[in-house]
Amino acid sequence: MNSAHLDYEMLADLAEGIVNDDLAASATEHLADCEECRDRSAELADVSRLLAESAVPPMPEKLAARIDAAIAAESVSTATVASLQARRGRRHLRMLSAAAAAIVVVGGAVAVGRSAMESPSVPADAHNQIPAQERTDRSTSSSAGASGEQSETAPKSAPQKLSGTYPVARTGTDYQDTTVGTQITDTLRRGDLPVTQPTGQLSACVQRVAAGKQPVLVDVAGYAGRPATVIVLPGSAGGSELDVWIVGSKCSVDTSDVIKHTSASR
Amino acid sequence: MTFVGGRQAEVVPDKELLSRHAAGDPHAFAEIVHRHRDRMWAVALRTLGDPEEAADALQDAFLSAFRAAGRFRGDAAVTTWLHRIVVNACLDRLRRKTLRPAVSMGDDAALDSLAPKSIDPTSAHELSLDVTAALQQLPFEQRAALILVDMMGYSVDDAAKVLEVPAGTIKSRCARGRARLAPLLLHLRNRRLATNVESAEEGGGNPT
Repeated sequence: MNSAHLDYEMLADLAEGIVNDDLAASATEHLADCEECRDRSAELADVSRLLAESAVPPMPEKLAARIDAAIAAESVSTATVASLQARRGRRHLRMLSAAAAAIVVVGGAVAVGRSAMESPSVPADAHNQIPAQERTDRSTSSSAGASGEQSETAPKSAPQKLSGTYPVARTGTDYQDTTVGTQITDTLRRGDLPVTQPTGQLSACVQRVAAGKQPVLVDVAGYAGRPATVIVLPGSAGGSELDVWIVGSKCSVDTSDVIKHTSASR
Repeated sequence: MTFVGGRQAEVVPDKELLSRHAAGDPHAFAEIVHRHRDRMWAVALRTLGDPEEAADALQDAFLSAFRAAGRFRGDAAVTTWLHRIVVNACLDRLRRKTLRPAVSMGDDAALDSLAPKSIDPTSAHELSLDVTAALQQLPFEQRAALILVDMMGYSVDDAAKVLEVPAGTIKSRCARGRARLAPLLLHLRNRRLATNVESAEEGGGNPT
């Protein structure tokens, strides 16, 4: 034993081949002479073997069923709109739930507007940006089929049914006044957003702000250094335009607490 | 279970399933879930050490994948992408549960889902429990790397893609993790030696 013993870290690095050549040479030399270090080295090799051998049982049936049910519920809530999308074959679906909302709005702003107008629970002023022309068409579309585009049957109940299934992320992003557009685009591009179900006040807040639209994204994050929730809705012009509301922590069923209202694009 | 290369001709590739899902096929995603859920379950359970937490994380992950499928970029393998979503969902759970007790292994159901019942309960069952508990002693990043490489058998390069770090980082995380696990798992090795070679009286001499 002509040199100091090798600890687990050194031996692990050596085995993984991430030790520089000189060090590796002297360590190997030491190992040849030292039974104690060879034993430790064998223990390390055993770690990998134990990990590989320790079997995890298959997923419990109950959990498998729970996940299947959750997926099925998600499928049902998007299926009507997805098939509408397929019929129109117009736009590529990027993100199912987002696109579901988008298509209702894109195909046009009509479908959302229609059900909103027919639903007494949605504040009327939320949709006052819809041109009067469309409102008129809408009121007659079921019998007259006025302008082709609008005679196509849209699932009237879809927007209401869809709300509640939107992704709620908590990215912690601090959105800034000048970069909010690109920050939202970046967040939307992430394929790995942690998604949770909205609860209580947040759910009420989103419902109030979205007014029947399906959010593309709700991000519990920050804006200009203070806590804020970013609610991204499909834009009323359709296409890649997004309607962005940034609301403060007081946002609830009673007040929107809007900090900023802007637009962005996908 | 998934067979790399797909021996059966009629097996639809993951990517094809994912685009069918994105195009509105209501059954495509369920098929993806069925193919990969046991493997994803293994990762989530080992990462979190608690069946309840793992179950929640896995459900979050699959729903998140369901919604994000349209944004999947074809240049990665679907399994890589799914693994990443599962690991992130686990990390998300861990961050949120800091105030709750780490591992609740109180009842039999919890124990059974951590380790399979086997003919030789002292070995497979306890090994699985000990490995799970030992893994929880590691920092998340080392644990995630070791679970992918040593436990799931992925190459360093594949693990690097899942965790989105350079291959060298995976190597050093694995090495650090193994160095920390070695003393923790030492008693397991001794116990197995003792069982295998019953007459070996002189045996260990190892510190505990």
